Amino acid sequence: MIIVPCPNCGPRNSGDLRPAGEVVPRPDPSTCSLSEWREYLYMRHNPADWVTETWYCRGGCRRYFTIERNTATNEIRGQEAS
Amino acid sequence: MSETTMQSPVDVGPLSASDGSVTLADAYATTKVQVRAGADTDAAAALGVSYGSSTRSADGDLVCGTRPDEWTIYGDPGRSDAIAATVPTEGFVTVIDLTHGRAMLRISGSNATAALSKICNLDLSDELTPNGAVFSGSLGSVSCDWVRDDQGGETSFLVSCERSFGRFLFIAVADACTEFGLSVPHGWELHAH
Repeated sequence: MIIVPCPNCGPRNSGDLRPAGEVVPRPDPSTCSLSEWREYLYMRHNPADWVTETWYCRGGCRRYFTIERNTATNEIRGQEAS
Repeated sequence: MSETTMQSPVDVGPLSASDGSVTLADAYATTKVQVRAGADTDAAAALGVSYGSSTRSADGDLVCGTRPDEWTIYGDPGRSDAIAATVPTEGFVTVIDLTHGRAMLRISGSNATAALSKICNLDLSDELTPNGAVFSGSLGSVSCDWVRDDQGGETSFLVSCERSFGRFLFIAVADACTEFGLSVPHGWELHAH
């Protein structure tokens, strides 16, 4: 079990939230190449290190927020409403 | 808004442990009015509570800060029009009667918290959820809106969920209460015996 700190609801069991994955910069779809768009949609770095992730507080405030999580230790630092 | 005659998904009367330590009752008929409004609107100012807390209005309705920029007002049955009329609607404001669409139950008593904790991963201690606390979280794997609304000094929670989950939720909570002496009517057991 991971305790994830929601900026609105406080510490919550991760079962009450939904991970929405790494934060990836969104390219401008009107100017980027198909390759860049594909990379944005499907490709993730997935390092065994600190990653900035988006989470959705589906059981509580129903807001998206970002955290930094160490994927190797599940340690969490920093939280910010999206 | 008009009053809609709907049947509760829970068709059993209040259930109570013989020693009165836990009581479970259907509260479906409770009027439930949802207000969504920007923080800078007259409605937000008039409702007067922020996310996570509740207050009683002059009319006796329970005004709850359910989520950021979202409130739910609970009142006696048949009061949806009266409650909606009290909310200023200038600006980016929506007022919706959710009475028919949300099941609700009230669980009270000295063992209410212990019973709920069996099927809930939220910390329901007095420190984190004092009387008047408003929060959301899963109960028996059902997404619910909660209000700690003590009655006569006795611990009491109002819990609401989508109507279609109401019967399951009531049975799941009743099942959790059996350890504390509550008898579940035949046909309402969560687990086959």
